[in-house]
Amino acid sequence: MSSISQNAPGKTVLLMGNEAIARGALEAGVKVCAAYPGNPSSEIIGTLAKVADELGLHVEWSVNEKVALEVATAASFAGLRGLCAMKQNGLNVASDFLLNLNLSGCRGGLVLVVADDPAGVSSSNEEDSRIFAKLGDLPLLEPANFQEAKEMTKSAFEISEQLGLPVLIRSVTRVSHARGNVCLDELPQSRPKPRFENSLRFHALPAVLNHKLLHEKLNRAKQMFEESPFNFYRGPEKPELMVATSGSGWMYSLEAMINLNVQERVGVLKLGTTWPLPESYVLEHLKKADRILFIEEVDPFLENNVKEIYAQNCLFLGLKAFFGKASKHIPDVGELNPEIVTHAIQNLIQVPYEPRPADYALRAHEAAAELIPARALSFCPGCPHRATYWAVKIALALDGRDGFVLGDIGCYSLGMGPSGFGQMRTLHAMGSGTGLACGFGQLNRFGLEQPVIAVCGDSTFYHAAMPALANAYYNGADFLLLLLDNSATAMTGFQPHPGTGSTATGKEAPVIDLKAICEVFGAHVEVVDPFDVAATVETLLRLLQEEKGVKVLILKRECALVSAKHQKRLYQVEVEQEHCLGETCGCNRFCTRIFKCPGLMWDKAAGKARIDEAICTGCGVCTRICPASAIRKEKA
Amino acid sequence: METGEKVNRGLKALGEKVLNSDQCTACGACLSLCPYLRSWKGRVVKLDNCNLEEGRCFAYCPRTEVDLDEVYRGFFGKSYEEIEMGPVRKIMMARAKDPIWTKKAQTGGVVSALIDFALREGVIQAGVLTPRDGDLLPQGKIITNRKAVLSCAGSSYVSGPTLEALNRGPWKGQERIGIVGLPCQALALARMKTSTLEKKTPIDRVDLVIGLFCTWALDYKPFMAFLYKRVSSLSIKKLNITPPPERILEVMAGKTLSRIPVDDIRPFIRPSCRVCLDMTAELSDISVGTVEGKEGWNTVIVRTAMGENLLKRAKKAGVIETRPLPKDNLSHLKEASLLKKRRALDALKEMGEIEKGYFTLSANLIKCILSESGETLP
Repeated sequence: MSSISQNAPGKTVLLMGNEAIARGALEAGVKVCAAYPGNPSSEIIGTLAKVADELGLHVEWSVNEKVALEVATAASFAGLRGLCAMKQNGLNVASDFLLNLNLSGCRGGLVLVVADDPAGVSSSNEEDSRIFAKLGDLPLLEPANFQEAKEMTKSAFEISEQLGLPVLIRSVTRVSHARGNVCLDELPQSRPKPRFENSLRFHALPAVLNHKLLHEKLNRAKQMFEESPFNFYRGPEKPELMVATSGSGWMYSLEAMINLNVQERVGVLKLGTTWPLPESYVLEHLKKADRILFIEEVDPFLENNVKEIYAQNCLFLGLKAFFGKASKHIPDVGELNPEIVTHAIQNLIQVPYEPRPADYALRAHEAAAELIPARALSFCPGCPHRATYWAVKIALALDGRDGFVLGDIGCYSLGMGPSGFGQMRTLHAMGSGTGLACGFGQLNRFGLEQPVIAVCGDSTFYHAAMPALANAYYNGADFLLLLLDNSATAMTGFQPHPGTGSTATGKEAPVIDLKAICEVFGAHVEVVDPFDVAATVETLLRLLQEEKGVKVLILKRECALVSAKHQKRLYQVEVEQEHCLGETCGCNRFCTRIFKCPGLMWDKAAGKARIDEAICTGCGVCTRICPASAIRKEKA
Repeated sequence: METGEKVNRGLKALGEKVLNSDQCTACGACLSLCPYLRSWKGRVVKLDNCNLEEGRCFAYCPRTEVDLDEVYRGFFGKSYEEIEMGPVRKIMMARAKDPIWTKKAQTGGVVSALIDFALREGVIQAGVLTPRDGDLLPQGKIITNRKAVLSCAGSSYVSGPTLEALNRGPWKGQERIGIVGLPCQALALARMKTSTLEKKTPIDRVDLVIGLFCTWALDYKPFMAFLYKRVSSLSIKKLNITPPPERILEVMAGKTLSRIPVDDIRPFIRPSCRVCLDMTAELSDISVGTVEGKEGWNTVIVRTAMGENLLKRAKKAGVIETRPLPKDNLSHLKEASLLKKRRALDALKEMGEIEKGYFTLSANLIKCILSESGETLP
């Protein structure tokens, strides 16, 4: 039994932040859960999918975040509780619906968890999703630890039902992906029956009237948050400095205070209900200190909103000094850590503190290097994308017209770096490669002579590239879309999608045929196996040079990590030592220095390349890149 | 160097001086040595830069810094001095006796018959020849038997990267190799042989080079585009240029024979051919060409002991028959060979200075080639 599905009130279990959120939803009696995967949010729905059958839930991976939110909202409209999860970029996709849903309101508890990725560790940006709460006049909660992640989620459903509004929960990587103790509560046994009440209306219109109603709801939220247990103050009654923090900032602040041993001098105001802020509660605490430091990740959301409250009330509060991102005491980009917070507090109250030596990071790196082999950010061994980009690089060079590749979101985004031979020239949102190609594909009338290529993965295709492809055919754009069909949403953890033949809960699903879709959209479609580099190059050149209009080349080859689970390796690959010329070859260690499949390694002692038997997947692609033909394969 | 910077003799320089300057002969000497050079439809393309300051690609190229004296000394043991058509031991007309060779071959079938004979006699264990694919695109290929030799006979007047096959191999045992190549390829092979670079190629296995006379080769892509406009069928079976003074390109496409004046295809001659000094593939063991006015016969120049020995044995075995080359033909051949050299020097002069060309040759010899008589000046 999964630890999140056990009905063991009072039991303490070790949970990942995302699992705690999932457990919170279960304790709230959630029935419908939907998401599009995206780090660091994926485990919320991933965890629920595993217990869906056991607990009688509907859990799905939807094709994109907007659809996911709509699916969860339908449950709410029918009187059930619905949960939707996504990463920060996903909220942009879902926002069109969300910013109408706020006006129409909802019925059953509806919670939208957005896991932000400060520093963009596994994202294309580090946007702060909290702005959407303010933009949409929606209540926002920010868990600061694992227990709170569970409690807040559970509570968010209640708040949602009381207000008739979706409630946002904003997590961040270090809350979602770290683990801690969580004390469980009871799982409800109720089986509510869904029903759409025809007496009810869920319309955004009339907009102005609903906007007014929304503001009233938000005011009620503000009142509710005045009493919220998620807001508290810890510290002396008259602190020299008050830290105002939310989310992950709470743990960092605690650690900094312990580092500096200033618990008697510095207080911490920890806010969990960050939109709308409980104004009276905030004002009451602002009275305590004249100097306030804001600790929060990504944007100065709390900082600016508290300053707004202060500005409105400054006559009563007197002069205060605010520190944070605006004053440059806290970096305004990237992820925080205890060291940054410690340094900021130390700066402001002048306590002695031995900071980390300047070369700490370097020495830590060196120490780790002795234990862990240095590996650059790279495609996995046997990844079909490496073969694809190698073929693209060759084809574009042979074509000779300076063609270029428009990128998209997925594992293949690594195509922007050395692992993809630097082929990908743009990277923005899901589906943007194909959208940009629609535009580039029109520029030939102004004299653009370069071939235009867009790349897109299978999951990304269903998510956002399909409208762009329809647009391409309709408006007569001329470009080649490379559909990198690895039959997985690989980057976020192999979640199934409409092309994989199974659902989030492991049930068999109809397979949507990518080729058929593209053909219906009017594209000239061909399919090739990227492991056959020669055929891929040949096909790319033919499509670039001989076909006009919108072309799709499907590069079909299952993700190497998925294949490894159910298929033995294709080939036994070997670097024949007598043929590898090593340092004396003109290739300048091409296989391990440039092509760089982790399955190839440089044997320093022999001065030659070797196969790392432990991780080589036997794709055989490298046998075609060695100029000395020293890499050989045999059917395994 | 004046700047104190290291002079690049690697891929960077090859790109600047040869590939991007349209001086590539598509011989294939630089291919399969490095992952960044590829041939495609008659062109050699650089995929990326490389950080080696010195590379085999540059060292073996027949269009980069060739010291002709050094190469000729390395190959023949004497400098570049026989300016008419290189060192000649013997010169004659010859043809293959077995009609299997003459039927398919361009003229007398001597090249195919000699390679086949060398294979059968164990003089070599593999040949590197140049078959054409269904679209007449020449490619280097390793062959080991008669059937494969036959598939390589004939010409499309397009140069192909034959030497890529030599570099690529793989050569597993102790095979000795015979290569049939154009003059630029013979020069590249001689450069490989005489190179002082440590890095290895299979050149030490090459025991036999049969050179083909060549006045020029065509650039594949524009030539094919032209041909398909001029012939009715997409299936072109054979190309042949009739001897002077007529000089007509005969194209057998489908079941129809089209006749195209050679002047019409001159625009597709590779620019790198215009600066070539060598018509008779001088750096070979045996050089083979056509004979003006004697259909079905080859001109054969024996240049080395190896070549002489092979020819003697082939003749004794009844594989080929020979006749003396008529005097008029000999003098025409010398004239044509010298004319190519003079034109190359003229072309280099037009491009700048001869001294800045891709080879070094003494001013005396240059003067000598440019003079009408072709005799060495005192």
